[in-house]
Amino acid sequence: MVHVAGFATVQDLGRRGYRALGVPVSGALDRLSAAYANALVGNPSGYAVVEVFGSVRLRLTVDAVVAVTGGYPRVFVGDVEVAPWTPIYCRAGSEVSVVPTGRGYVHYVAVSGGVLCEEVMGSASTYVRGGFGCLGRALRPGDELSVRSVRVDDVWERVRKARPPWEVVARSADPGDPATLRVTEGIHSHLLGDLSTLLTSEYTVTPESDRMGYRLDGPPLATASKLGRLPSTPTDRGYVQVPPDGKPIVLMADAQTTGGYAVALHIVQPDTDILAQLRPGRRVRFRLISLEEAEDVTSKYLAELENPVLAVAEEEYWT
Amino acid sequence: MSSDLRVVGSGGYVVHVDVCEDFSMECVGRAHKLYYAILRELSGLVDEVVLGTTSLAVYYDPRRVKASELVASIRRVWSWAREVDLGELHRPRRFTVPVLYGGEHGPDLSFVARWAGLSEEEVIRIHSSRAYTCITLGFTPGFIYLGEVDPRIAAPRLETPRVRIPRGSVGIAGRMTGVYGLESPGGWRLIGRTPLVMFDPRRSPPIPIAPGDEVVFKPIDPEEFSRLSGVFVGEYSS
Repeated sequence: MVHVAGFATVQDLGRRGYRALGVPVSGALDRLSAAYANALVGNPSGYAVVEVFGSVRLRLTVDAVVAVTGGYPRVFVGDVEVAPWTPIYCRAGSEVSVVPTGRGYVHYVAVSGGVLCEEVMGSASTYVRGGFGCLGRALRPGDELSVRSVRVDDVWERVRKARPPWEVVARSADPGDPATLRVTEGIHSHLLGDLSTLLTSEYTVTPESDRMGYRLDGPPLATASKLGRLPSTPTDRGYVQVPPDGKPIVLMADAQTTGGYAVALHIVQPDTDILAQLRPGRRVRFRLISLEEAEDVTSKYLAELENPVLAVAEEEYWT
Repeated sequence: MSSDLRVVGSGGYVVHVDVCEDFSMECVGRAHKLYYAILRELSGLVDEVVLGTTSLAVYYDPRRVKASELVASIRRVWSWAREVDLGELHRPRRFTVPVLYGGEHGPDLSFVARWAGLSEEEVIRIHSSRAYTCITLGFTPGFIYLGEVDPRIAAPRLETPRVRIPRGSVGIAGRMTGVYGLESPGGWRLIGRTPLVMFDPRRSPPIPIAPGDEVVFKPIDPEEFSRLSGVFVGEYSS
């Protein structure tokens, strides 16, 4: 049973292999946080979790291990406050609440066994615009979600002292202001010429940001106005488009698969997770890296998504 | 030897290929050859290949292959693929899409007719009298880009896109025509709507039309529109 005040959907790590049909990848906006939420409750990192903007309260009807990650929200089981980024043993009937603190923007709730709901094209990720994946819409108060059945005590034995590396929590909860996002040149940088405005200025995340794209405000890239509409090219998460007004739009998880705006820069995938955690008003700057470096950071990121690295802590949360 | 392609790495996991700078159906045909040749020859090396109208993106896992190797492989594939007929790489299928033109389903038909200086009937006749090539699918699930539209009815897109366009709507944007697979925002001039289900996320594949395939529009009346409502495009035969 769910009580939502905000925008919550079920997401996994995305829908692969259907972009050629126009189907966005979708999946968690901050994939690393989603992967760690799963790891902390003993799930494979690609299991479905609940992604929350704002606050949510979930009532468990079975015993379960629960973990909340993404930014640094306050977490309550009943009226007992517990820590995020930590496995919590919850009895059937418990209510888990997630309350935003201003640190981070999007939060993940993983439950041992993972959310079990309709997979479409190999993924449970909800693509609300297309109306498919899991419930095909945002969660509403009163919705009930199933979880796979697991031996909760065995899971708890395995994960009770598991903690993510501190850097993983820090990059999500406290990415800096401005946050620095690493980029390579985008596929139209040759048409746009001098990119120094983008590379030396600070940009602010605007309220017109959602799972499809984060819009940035700041000095416009002047050369964009001369280009107009280009033949549609494939686009992906992390592409920094500059429409004729020169203000960057960063494509995110539900991005369209092709687009006609010039693409100036490409944010490396791990840093799109960081951007996801920046609420409207937060600032970013871009730092150009080489393609080889981008391949290195992407390789490490993909490996970590598949196998999150857990450390061992002393304290544990049992409620 | 294949210096006509512009091939660049991006983001550490994408190789982007511009087949030519400006849109033409000749360029589209070249992009299709490269697309199917990469799918056939490099599928073990790449994750996904996505077509734009005159470009394509090859998504790869940098733990398995690097952009530098992939760029060389793509150029090698192109050196022979450019010389063969598309038919050797993809056997095109033909699909008929019934359309109820005008009225509430085609709110821009009168605009296109005025723009063209023709009657609505002539616009319908011209639009439905040729076979179009599927250029690519994209921006939203199951949207098909088709070309090339007769220049007489190649009306420009809307200045301000509509927020909500019903699925199955058929539009014109310059020399391209297209069908919205799902409800979505969009800026194409809407001249009609098909009752067929163009994209069904629960089918495999969700849409049978592939780049290089042919699409023919067939005018229908409201009665046939109701009768065909909900029929999947892959199961319709005229």
